[in-house]
Amino acid sequence: MALCQNRLQEERKLWRKDHPFGFYARPQKNALGVLDLKVWECGIPGKEKTIWEGGLFKLTVTFPDEYPTKPPKCKFVPPLFHPNVYPSGTVCLSILNEEEAWRPAITVKQILLGVQDLLNDPNPESPAQAEAYNLFKKDRVEYEKRIKRIVRENAAP
Amino acid sequence: MEVKCLDEVEELIQILYSPNPPSVYKLAQDRLQTLQKSNEGWQLAQALISSPNTNTKFFAALTLIVKLNKESANLTEDDAKELLQNVVGWLLTSMNDGTANFVLKKLCSALVTHFIYFSQLWPKCLRQLIYCLDIGRSMPVEALDEALQADAVIDSLDARKMWMAIQFATALVEEVGKTEMNSEKYMPVHQRLAGNAADVVSLLQRGLARAEDGCSEIALNCYQAWILYAQRASVDALTAPLRGLVEPAMRCFTVQELFQETAALFTDVLQNYSSFFTDSHYVALFSLIDSPWAVELYNKLRETPDDHDAMSFGLLLLAFGDAKVHQLMTSTEEAPQGLLSRLAGLTAANGHLVGEDNIFVPALEFWCTFVETVVDSSFTDQESSQTWRPYADQHIQNVVINSLRKIRWPPAEVFAEWDSSERAGFGDARKDVADLLQSVFTLNGVRLVSFFVDFFLQSLQSLAWAEAEAAEFCLGALADCVTEAPEFDLEMGRVFSAPFFELLSGFHGQIPLRLRQTSLSLIERYGEFFERHSERLPDALNLLFAAVGDPVLGGPSARSISTLCSSCRAILTGEAQAFITQYKTIRGSQVLDSIAEERIIHAIASIIQAIPQENIRLSTFNELYQIIREDIIRAQQLKHKPALLNLGDPNYARGLESWNNTQPAPEAEEIALQISLRALRCLSNMAKGLQDTKEPSVNLDDEEQPAQVLGPLYLMQTDIFNMMYSVRLNFDRSGEVVEAICNIFRAGFSETVPGPFVFPAEMVTKFFTEQLCWCPSFGTLLSTACSFVGSLYRGPKTNVPSQLSLVAYWAVNSLWILAGYADTEISQNSIVLLDKITGRYPELVFKLPTELLENFFRFTLKVLSEVEPLPKGAAADFWSGLVSLKPDDSSLQATLDNAMGTLGPPLAQSLIDNIGGKAARSELDKLSGLLKKLVMHQPRAQAWLEAALFDQSFPDSQVTPEQKTVFLKKIMSLRGSRLTNQVVREFWLACRGSNFTYAS
Repeated sequence: MALCQNRLQEERKLWRKDHPFGFYARPQKNALGVLDLKVWECGIPGKEKTIWEGGLFKLTVTFPDEYPTKPPKCKFVPPLFHPNVYPSGTVCLSILNEEEAWRPAITVKQILLGVQDLLNDPNPESPAQAEAYNLFKKDRVEYEKRIKRIVRENAAP
Repeated sequence: MEVKCLDEVEELIQILYSPNPPSVYKLAQDRLQTLQKSNEGWQLAQALISSPNTNTKFFAALTLIVKLNKESANLTEDDAKELLQNVVGWLLTSMNDGTANFVLKKLCSALVTHFIYFSQLWPKCLRQLIYCLDIGRSMPVEALDEALQADAVIDSLDARKMWMAIQFATALVEEVGKTEMNSEKYMPVHQRLAGNAADVVSLLQRGLARAEDGCSEIALNCYQAWILYAQRASVDALTAPLRGLVEPAMRCFTVQELFQETAALFTDVLQNYSSFFTDSHYVALFSLIDSPWAVELYNKLRETPDDHDAMSFGLLLLAFGDAKVHQLMTSTEEAPQGLLSRLAGLTAANGHLVGEDNIFVPALEFWCTFVETVVDSSFTDQESSQTWRPYADQHIQNVVINSLRKIRWPPAEVFAEWDSSERAGFGDARKDVADLLQSVFTLNGVRLVSFFVDFFLQSLQSLAWAEAEAAEFCLGALADCVTEAPEFDLEMGRVFSAPFFELLSGFHGQIPLRLRQTSLSLIERYGEFFERHSERLPDALNLLFAAVGDPVLGGPSARSISTLCSSCRAILTGEAQAFITQYKTIRGSQVLDSIAEERIIHAIASIIQAIPQENIRLSTFNELYQIIREDIIRAQQLKHKPALLNLGDPNYARGLESWNNTQPAPEAEEIALQISLRALRCLSNMAKGLQDTKEPSVNLDDEEQPAQVLGPLYLMQTDIFNMMYSVRLNFDRSGEVVEAICNIFRAGFSETVPGPFVFPAEMVTKFFTEQLCWCPSFGTLLSTACSFVGSLYRGPKTNVPSQLSLVAYWAVNSLWILAGYADTEISQNSIVLLDKITGRYPELVFKLPTELLENFFRFTLKVLSEVEPLPKGAAADFWSGLVSLKPDDSSLQATLDNAMGTLGPPLAQSLIDNIGGKAARSELDKLSGLLKKLVMHQPRAQAWLEAALFDQSFPDSQVTPEQKTVFLKKIMSLRGSRLTNQVVREFWLACRGSNFTYAS
């Protein structure tokens, strides 16, 4: 537990010092206005020169007590139309999977950049929602149209 | 080594360093690597090292490193000693013949590589090298006198030799540091490295003092590398002597040309390893940064924050503050308070963010830490003991004021000159300020809000737009922090009053776009305030509506309108009519952005939803609906009569939104389709707006209210239905149309009270079952049907079975017609649909025509054996449900048993094939679920599973028959308990083979 808190303090410092353009990530505040380091509100911008450019997508990152031994859970709020995002909004990504590529050394910045990469580069091997996955596989033109609409609905300020 | 070969090598190296096509580089590179790795590699290096060509020498040194890394195990101790003596010899020769520094550095790396593999031969490697440097020739390791006074030797080194020794000491710690500290193989190397600490300190002590011949600079780098290593190793034997160099290093601050390096070193250690410095170091550092010299640098920084030296000093100051934040915060003495004042002053340097003023953002970061430290201690310490608190508050207040000034937008002409990264940096810096303010709010609450409100009102009075905008931005940042407590409403009420509304309604003439933008978003962010103060809401909404047509402000305004109307619907019912009129007016003169338009429709519909009198509600709705209905009719007329197209009319031009000018203008039919799609999406937003916001009260025993056939609501529903139906018919190849219609249906499914979009079940069933399986987006229809079934279950029961029978028939019949051509979406959703029906009404499913039902079962088994994960998961769920069915009806039970007799074996086969290695790791839990149900509920499961395990088709030969038997035994004896998942996982891993890690 203490390890988790210390690491998250460190992550917050690291993020403040160095974060990629257009992203934001900050711990949520509880009712007293005190930071809850274990739940972060983040924003992932769509990558430049992709169909996701111009969008900003809200992501909640929840760190378990066992962090960094166990990975945090990333959830798009509201759920995002994307082949690797579960209907609940939870992101399915190898670096976020304890049994796959998660390593305690992975930083919040790497996670968020990883999620940003995933936007335009879905992994058809591990579909998480039928709607986006099927459209992605079946009709790329229609899929891209749909994404562009979603980007407009979630335009970065 | 033959001369021919040497010539070839020289030639190849030449190629690498001259302009050539990539393929030629690659060939040369490959050939050189082959030569390096060959048995002659050692001789090659030896022969090339004496070449006059620098690049060739470099290659020789590189070859030594490659050979040592690859083949050091083949060298005897004597070979290694001889090699060492040779390399040191080459280094000395090269040093004297003016060879370029990068070659000398590479030779140092080669020596370090030798140390890594043979550290036992020369544990005091630095001393050995210094000794050789001193006498000017390479000596055997045995010749090193243990009692040699390193200090005396170092004193006698000239600048060049000193440089060389320090380079070696740097490479030594950097290269050894790259090896695994805790591995058995390298641990002794690390121990011997630490044994060189005293010599390193002697060397650097003198090096740091020799600024005049250029040694100090590299000595600082070397020192930094050793501190970094010491931190990782955390060995006192290393840290303690290194601490002795802090003071000599600190003296380098005063040497002009060493300032940057020294500041970088101290900043780095303060940031990353603040415990390296002792209390007395901190005292010394403090008096340094408090000295008149430092104050001069500080003032320079405030004047010209892009000056490099000054910037380095600023970062040092901040790193010091960060390392000592708690002590600085709690001390009320003059000196530390003075430092804090200067740190606060760093947020008020000259110039614009961030292109000119680079110190603001790092300074803000320090102040965030400071505020959080204050917050932490205010929750843990005794209030009474906080004598320092007023001082801290004063500093924080200064930082807030400075920040408020800093985040003002520059004049437009200045902004226009910024490049994209400067603009993005400015935006990010504003977000950082918002972050800081939220932390400060925790301490100051209403005082902070009040401060910004005052500042805003003053700015407004003096027409200082940039200041007003900045204050609004800060208030916006606090929107999530303020509560509904009256003191906050009082403050915000001062903002949302006449001057604010006058400002935006053009009282002062044109105001900057940014100010309008921030003002409108302030309304949105304080939506809850307007909910509590409904008297101010119409003013706010009118402002927002006025901005809807604006290309920049339209989108955000529509969003605010939608949020506000939705949350304040009950108090706005009187405005519905006016808003509809406003909407009509806007769309009569221009084409609105479609998303903005949908939001406005949603907003108005949510107000309509709150109108209490049913007749008024329906007639107001009808008025809104008619606008969209006309669009649908117009689109159909256009489709049949393209000559009607008049792009000067916004009613037609609205079909052009997705068209970009680079493509040829679309046909009338395409425009008609786009108009229809916009209309359907508006309907869908109407339907969402009409959704009830109260918790539904569900009473399953309620009998369904008989639909008032020919009543106004029913007529309305029929009309909407017919409109959707006709769009579908007119544009029968459009999947988007199907999806839009499905969204409209979905919005009604969740509702429990009647409404225009809460269609009677028969109407919904009719729409679905009339769609044939080759209709576009058929999978979406099926998934919508799943939601429909869910909504039927939430409502009264009477009508359910008849509807379900029709829907189930439609789904299995479609699969029959598709005969194996179902895509993954159709496969998945049809299975989910049947699963939903089977769970509650299995008798309906078993009453389906036998051949359709058998086809469906075969289909699910096929899907279970295939690789597509989503249909497979659906099939696993379906079978889990089916095998655990326990119907009361005995004849249905008999039918079920009979069916399982036939279906059980192939089901077990498919399941075992998956568990035997075919499934992906992520599917195992779902498959284990099915296996557990099978074992728990089907008495014949053991026989089926056994047959499957020993069937020829079992995918894997890695597991033995014994392992299979053990697996089966375990599974059966667990009787469906949770441990099954673990057993399945292990068996699956065994079948996949031990080499497998994360490939699936």
